[in-house]
Amino acid sequence: MSGLISTNTFWTLWLFVHLILAVGLLGALTHQAVAVALPIRKPAGGIVSRFRAVSAPGYATAVCVLWVLTYIVGSYIYTKYRIAIRIPLEAQHFYKTGGFFDFKEHVATLGLVLLPAYWYFWKNAQNPQYDNARKGVTLVLAVMCWFLFIVGHVLNNTRGFAS
Amino acid sequence: MSTTATATSRTAPPQSSLAAPSAFGKFATAFSISGPVVYCVVQYFNYPLFTFHPATDRIVWGYEAARSGEGPNMLWYGWSATTILIAAALGVIAMMLPGRIIRKIPLSLVWILPILAIPYVIYSLNQWWTLAARQ
Repeated sequence: MSGLISTNTFWTLWLFVHLILAVGLLGALTHQAVAVALPIRKPAGGIVSRFRAVSAPGYATAVCVLWVLTYIVGSYIYTKYRIAIRIPLEAQHFYKTGGFFDFKEHVATLGLVLLPAYWYFWKNAQNPQYDNARKGVTLVLAVMCWFLFIVGHVLNNTRGFAS
Repeated sequence: MSTTATATSRTAPPQSSLAAPSAFGKFATAFSISGPVVYCVVQYFNYPLFTFHPATDRIVWGYEAARSGEGPNMLWYGWSATTILIAAALGVIAMMLPGRIIRKIPLSLVWILPILAIPYVIYSLNQWWTLAARQ
């Protein structure tokens, strides 16, 4: 790759892939979380109602696949971050930014280990025994995903694309 | 007889336990319940499956401190790998447990334990917050 594109471009492309996967994951999880937290009882009317009226079970597999892919790509970028981003951040005393990034990595793993139960609960969506657990784990994953996305976005603004 | 028992269990299912799950259901639930706890324990006692040294692309089994002149070490990959292996092992054990034991596991633990893990994770990053507070 080094002959075709610069190192900066290479990592920027991977960061873009990470971003695109994360946006897809965020959209799917947010749709599902809203649908499960505020289920709609009658046919959709306005845009908010239509947002809530999605078929939530259909998102489960996509969410799992996207979480794993985003996790893998993020893990790959993390190797570069540790050398090229975190060391300059520390040198410039961006300690909260660095701390929140480490926090993000922990949350990503905590979310990863929830996926098997999350998927199982959604694949048995017709079983009322799993309703509360399914709702809880979906909301937790959605909050985690928003946290991961916002921290990643702020970190990118601090020292990300093309830096 | 068995029809009656089935009908009874369907009309009055326990609301927060793993009733009559499949083998995968037992595995998945045990994996996800134990995962956050195992992750915190693994991180606290620092048991990474391997340590990665990004400056030299070197991977070492277990824990290895950063070496002089070789840049930082990365433990997060190793912690995550250890967690997945241990949680998977606990999931396999859960698959072998009888249903009456599995049914006693509250399913709400799947989402409560990761929430409870967050304060510990924040505390474990104390070095960052201390440095930030000193500024």
